[in-house]
Amino acid sequence: MLLQALGKTLPTVGKGFLITACAALIFLMNGTASAALTITANHDHIKIDFFYHGSTVSVRGVSAPGTDLIIKIAAPGGHYALRKRGKVAGLLWMNVGELKFEHVPQLYSLHSTKKISEILSGEERDKYLIGYESLGKQTEIQPVANEADKTKWFGEFVKFKEASKLYAESEGDISLSLKAGELNYYVLSPWPYQAAPGEYIVTAYAVKDKKVIETAETKVLVEQVGLVKSFASMAKNSAALYGVISIVAALVAGFGVGLIFRSGGGAH
Amino acid sequence: MYFYLPVALTSINVLVPLGLGLAVGLLSGLFGVGGGFLMTPLLIMFGIPSTVAAATDSNQIVAASTSGTYAHWRVGNVDFKMGLYLLAGGFVGGLFGVQGIKVLKAMGNADFVIKMTYVLMLGIVGTYMFIESISSMRKNKTREVKEERESATGRFLRSLPLQTHFEKSGVTHSALVPIIFGCLVGILAAVMGVGGGFLMVPVMVYILRMPMHVVVGTSLFQILFNCIEVTFLQAYTNHTVDFMLAVLLLIGSTVGAQIGAIFGRKIEGEQLKVILAVIVLAVTVKIIFELTLTPSLLLGQSGGH
Repeated sequence: MLLQALGKTLPTVGKGFLITACAALIFLMNGTASAALTITANHDHIKIDFFYHGSTVSVRGVSAPGTDLIIKIAAPGGHYALRKRGKVAGLLWMNVGELKFEHVPQLYSLHSTKKISEILSGEERDKYLIGYESLGKQTEIQPVANEADKTKWFGEFVKFKEASKLYAESEGDISLSLKAGELNYYVLSPWPYQAAPGEYIVTAYAVKDKKVIETAETKVLVEQVGLVKSFASMAKNSAALYGVISIVAALVAGFGVGLIFRSGGGAH
Repeated sequence: MYFYLPVALTSINVLVPLGLGLAVGLLSGLFGVGGGFLMTPLLIMFGIPSTVAAATDSNQIVAASTSGTYAHWRVGNVDFKMGLYLLAGGFVGGLFGVQGIKVLKAMGNADFVIKMTYVLMLGIVGTYMFIESISSMRKNKTREVKEERESATGRFLRSLPLQTHFEKSGVTHSALVPIIFGCLVGILAAVMGVGGGFLMVPVMVYILRMPMHVVVGTSLFQILFNCIEVTFLQAYTNHTVDFMLAVLLLIGSTVGAQIGAIFGRKIEGEQLKVILAVIVLAVTVKIIFELTLTPSLLLGQSGGH
């Protein structure tokens, strides 16, 4: 009907072009989600005060029916220098060197409706950095002997991060419900207290036929506030004063407690 | 209840540092050790980054050793004169030790040397203290042997120049003796990253022949200044002192040091040595296990040693 209306009002040459363009647009729209992917997090700002012990972030939104979903929470890529342990003289375990990791996020949390390898192709996983394997491919590790060595040490890096509760992958924990022709999704993700202050990106991927058909993202800012912020800032920016205050406080506490306690005996 | 630590960037149950502080403070008051060789690994176990654990522990030791020194001073158990000589030697030794670590790190052998130093020093000190204390407790027979040893040692020490009487300890030594041994302990303490109390105590007992209860108070006095220096340098250079964590630790440790000082006066010197020797040997065994058992993680945080 739209095409017919346009045909009655436009000149012949322009009409042909416009009809072609509209046809292409309609074709594209049918190939992608018919409803736009949305994402909302319950926190856009997590405040770290003295009693902070982590948080939870709930992510919800709508997607097109029939799509699978992947939610990724990650910090921008950073770098790490970590000590590696190995055997000396074939007997003793100790630090034997240092490894530098580049382009790795400080926090990486993945949730999905199904096993990721079943719903998304390897190429798409690499393109969007979804999954440890894809993350490992784009990580630079120095020094490593070869690709197998790199794979081994990236695996150890993931174990280290998982032990610190900063890396996690889970599947099947996104709840879905169909309402008024839209797929509503919801996931609750624990936010570890070990996650440093900074900006984190929460990304939703709508997946169909092993491809990402749409993405949406939101941000979460984690920030120290109040006295926590003051102490951290002083430790970094007024280090000499901070050191003196720490020492004086310790001396005063030591003397103070000594004055409170009474001597109970004589010299030996 | 959990507290967030602004420099360690982690959260901790408040009972953990309070309890750890109390336990390690008790050891400080009892034995004259800073307790860093116990506290730092325990803090790391509870999720504190290693560099922050070591630096903040130095801050806590300032409080515990102040409390302990004060408690011991009140009952006349601190030899300030001896402490100052040991401190002078320890300061110079610390400078050499830090340079030594830099050279070892450049050669790539630092960790091996540090670990071996820990095992050897703790093992030798702990074993010697244990055997010597047990045999000293069998008083009659051993008293004669001890006197013979003192004569031989005494002759050698009396032959050195700059003889000085240390009234509180009731001993006379060349001023060079505490300075040289303080320097050796300072080197080892810098290499091992500790305050040096568990090394200084045997030096004072077996070489300087000071009474055990004066050793405890004097050792705490020396550790106090050593840790003031380390705390300032760590805060200024590395920004790794977490004041909140230090406050939680020192609330427990200052009280623990007082309690330790009170208990210490009720325990005989030889018994104190035996208990300290057992603790040092237990730490040695723990380190040996860590060296020989496969770790669960092959990667760890950088910094400290």
